[in-house]
Amino acid sequence: MNKISERQIYFFLACIAPVGKLVVMPARLAGYCGNDLWLPALFQFLVQAGAIFCVLLLAKRGQSFYSLLAGTFGRVLGKIGILLIGAFLLYAGFLPLLEQKLFVQGVFYDTLPSIVSFAPFFLFAAYLCSKPIASYGRLFDLLAPIAIAGFFGVLLFSAGTADYGAVLPVGASGLRGLAKGGAYSFAWFFDSALLLLLLGKFDYQKGMAWKGAVCYLAGGAAVAFFLVTFYGIFEGTALNQLFAFTKTSKYFSGFTVLGRVDYLFIFLLSLVTAFYTALPLSAAVESALEAFGRRPYLPTLLSIALSALWFLLTYLFDFRFGEAMRAISEQAFWLFPAFTLLLPPLMLLLRKGDPHARA
Amino acid sequence: MRARKFLKTVPMKLWLLLLAVILFSFFSNDFGLVDIQKTAIILAAGIDKSENGFSVTSQIAVPKGADRSQGGTSSVNITTEGATVSDCITALFGKTGWVPKLVFCDLIILGEDAVKEDAISYLNYFLRNEYMPDNCLLAVCEGKAEELITSTSAIDDASSLAIEKLFSDAAEKSGKVLPNTLKDFAIGYYGVSKSSYLPYVQMSPQKGASAGGDSGGSGSSGGSGGSGAGGSESEEQIYTAEETALFSEGKMVGKLPAEQTLALSLLQGNVFAGTFPAEENGDPVTLTIVRNSGGTNLDMKGAPTATLSADVTCRLCCRGTTAPIEDISSDAVSEAVLEDANKVLTGYLEGLWESFRETGCDLLELKQSLYRSSLKKYREWKDYLLDAVRPVFKVSVKSMK
Repeated sequence: MNKISERQIYFFLACIAPVGKLVVMPARLAGYCGNDLWLPALFQFLVQAGAIFCVLLLAKRGQSFYSLLAGTFGRVLGKIGILLIGAFLLYAGFLPLLEQKLFVQGVFYDTLPSIVSFAPFFLFAAYLCSKPIASYGRLFDLLAPIAIAGFFGVLLFSAGTADYGAVLPVGASGLRGLAKGGAYSFAWFFDSALLLLLLGKFDYQKGMAWKGAVCYLAGGAAVAFFLVTFYGIFEGTALNQLFAFTKTSKYFSGFTVLGRVDYLFIFLLSLVTAFYTALPLSAAVESALEAFGRRPYLPTLLSIALSALWFLLTYLFDFRFGEAMRAISEQAFWLFPAFTLLLPPLMLLLRKGDPHARA
Repeated sequence: MRARKFLKTVPMKLWLLLLAVILFSFFSNDFGLVDIQKTAIILAAGIDKSENGFSVTSQIAVPKGADRSQGGTSSVNITTEGATVSDCITALFGKTGWVPKLVFCDLIILGEDAVKEDAISYLNYFLRNEYMPDNCLLAVCEGKAEELITSTSAIDDASSLAIEKLFSDAAEKSGKVLPNTLKDFAIGYYGVSKSSYLPYVQMSPQKGASAGGDSGGSGSSGGSGGSGAGGSESEEQIYTAEETALFSEGKMVGKLPAEQTLALSLLQGNVFAGTFPAEENGDPVTLTIVRNSGGTNLDMKGAPTATLSADVTCRLCCRGTTAPIEDISSDAVSEAVLEDANKVLTGYLEGLWESFRETGCDLLELKQSLYRSSLKKYREWKDYLLDAVRPVFKVSVKSMK
């Protein structure tokens, strides 16, 4: 079976995972803590980097998430454990999915289109999920340069119009604002849980744990800089600016001559977010396959079934994005640190089992 | 064996089936793309206060069809009323059958009555609307916005296009006008200083224009639902925006005359190729600004002091008197003119400061500057900072060598 290489993991952590934080999260953070929006984001990247460090240390054992659990708790609990994390990722991926839907409908269409316009995403997701999750390795190779080009392209057109002094004074939102920003932004950070499902799909290399954490922090620094730029452009109105990365570049004065060339870079980032949005679904399919065993037709059926479930949920929440977002990111925010921050270090305590254990 | 073979080919068949569904939806509905014949492409909107709440006059571009004999832009003006701006825009559909589309709306004009209240209530709809470009130009006008929008321009087929010309980059760099956008107005309003500005548009009849004259294109027609704009529709108008309306907490609190508009532009360091008058031994001269930098600095050590600085490099543009050819061939500015120019610009800045102090409009962002540097001092001074600050004017006028 093909394995994901060390480089591809770094690409995911440094370039692809951070892009998922540039859609709705900046506006939400601006709403919670105004000009301090970059501080909660930095905090999240720091703690996630710690969790990623733990997950990559786990990779030293060469075991999958399931075999690690099964080695200590037995197969039944192992299956329950992997189905639980699969269900969590399906849940965690729902908010980025709704974001992606709103983003496509809001940015690519100039009147509010029906959900049918977004339906092709589910076909795309179903196709992607029917492939082995290790095939994401090659995708990471392809997506990383696209993400870098898109990000720096957008930043190039945005930086000149930002008033960076707008983020001063640091800490103006107070402890309450910062705490709200910190707690309610957990919903956008589940990368360590995604990485847990990739365990066993890549081989540990020397120094990989700290290198991976540093890569993630580098991505975090880029996101923090983007957030500062974003606030510098919109200041007090930043909380009204959903789809942040599509908004910041449009004020570049040269566009009167050049036209909106920034759309090229926005499309690049959109491409990356489409794959990043489908990744939790792939991880959920992978967890079900680990639990139920790999049969020839099962990946396709599971992909179609879970994509259909997501489509149904998206349809149900078509006009309830705010409600869904508040429920996931505010009311049940504690679920995220439980799976993404507590689980990885706790798993380091598991005893080493059979690396080839399968359901 | 056969079952396994079938299962293997299922995914490909499914993808083909789904591809067919997508293609079908594309060709049957064009994915919901907008039909231009059924859409009101709003070029500009004028908003006034009315008895029912709000009155919006929309200038809508209309297709010319096969008639390509004349250039320009055809437009029609429709006035609608409602309890909110959204109601007014939606009423367009009821009156015309056209679906209003704001994505090309580049200009919003607020009537003078509208800005006596909090202007944000008139802009709320546009700030919420994801399909409205927030970098669209915003201005306030003398009288009713409806009259301005429905007026016949002497220089363009559509009044909105003529007004937008006033806010071009070149006009802004001349220092004669200070354009603002919906986004920046909202930032000022929701910012620490709660202050902003808008260009103040006035219209006047073009001297010598024939009543109801044709301006070259097919022109604009009056509103179907509007109350009409009286004589302004039949007489060609020209527009100016050299004055600037000052806003504090969303209300228009004063106006800057043209000289102070230039002074504010100089403080922003925007001016290139702008002109201003001076004197040499009592004779009038005009100077062209070729380079400008400026800024405001708040010093809270001891008594609060605001330093307003404007550095200007200029050349002699014109004399109001006869001059020998040697003088005409030279751009250099004499010391006497430089001295007078310094006095003129300092006078403009003093007037500007006085306008800010009288209106409480903090366009120099002194409160914001204090907020960013010290939250504690900001809380201490925010209510009376503008009254307490002593201004220092630093003007430097140099001649182009």
